[in-house]
Amino acid sequence: MIVKYLLAALVAGLFSGALMTAAQEARVIPLILHAEEYEGGEAAPAPAGTEAQPEATHEHSALGIGAGLSEIAGYLSPVSVAYAHGGEAHDDEGGIMFGMSRFSGTLLANLVAGAGFALLLAGASLVTGNPITVANGALWGAAGWLAVHLLPAIGLPPELPGFPAAELADRQLWWMATVALSAGGLYLLILKDGLAAKVAGIALIAAPHVYGAPQPVDLTSNVPAVLGAEFAVAALATTLFFWIVLGLSLGFANEKIAKADR
Amino acid sequence: MAVSHVSSNSLSLNDRLYAGITALLLGAFLVFGAGLANSSVLHDTAHDTRHSYGFPCH
Repeated sequence: MIVKYLLAALVAGLFSGALMTAAQEARVIPLILHAEEYEGGEAAPAPAGTEAQPEATHEHSALGIGAGLSEIAGYLSPVSVAYAHGGEAHDDEGGIMFGMSRFSGTLLANLVAGAGFALLLAGASLVTGNPITVANGALWGAAGWLAVHLLPAIGLPPELPGFPAAELADRQLWWMATVALSAGGLYLLILKDGLAAKVAGIALIAAPHVYGAPQPVDLTSNVPAVLGAEFAVAALATTLFFWIVLGLSLGFANEKIAKADR
Repeated sequence: MAVSHVSSNSLSLNDRLYAGITALLLGAFLVFGAGLANSSVLHDTAHDTRHSYGFPCH
């Protein structure tokens, strides 16, 4: 019985992750590839469709021994080191898992993220005792998008490669805390009755923004500002599409799988 | 009062919480792996996904 609810979430998540991959190709991925041409401080003459020879087109400023080593590794290894960002210290070598293409890596990551977000949404529904159906699925999805994407984006907008940013660990911590507080706040605001719950909900949602997201000291970037603006809108629109599909398909899967033989 | 009638999905309260917490933990693990884990292989594989979802990246 329990397994059926998890299975329904997995089916909805994998379906949404696959659709998300198609949606990303429309606008978000071309913008990422475009921004990578400016990343690393030099205007690399890389055309947009670069999947064919990633080693040749994604090398950024080859400064330092680390970058040089990963460049050599790129020639020796069948695994692409496409995203070894210039001057960045990684403790392990990197490269796309199993030597897959860039697109396959993105598809795999979307499927994993889709399944993960679906399980989180299903878990929130089960723990709070509010079933997700086809009728309310889009609203559940919209709430998920608010908690995971729009509200954190107020402090940390979706960033392109090459954007200036504060320390990664600080931003990840702030991001996780904001997602958790926003989700809790939305629960109090939407699903709990009473004025006190609504006020507490708004306070929880506002708290991380009052505290403030970690910001970079230096705001200069080689990536044109227009690309950044286009990307922020495209990323938020694409993830909204993902969450609406996820909510609806989770509602559908719940009704088809979880309640199949009752 | 052992059986809860709060939810219309006809699970007992214990089963519902058990399933829900399992889903939350499993989901958090997958999202962390795809979006936040500090491993170069995971980062490079999920690079475009991380940017598209607005995860803090780099």
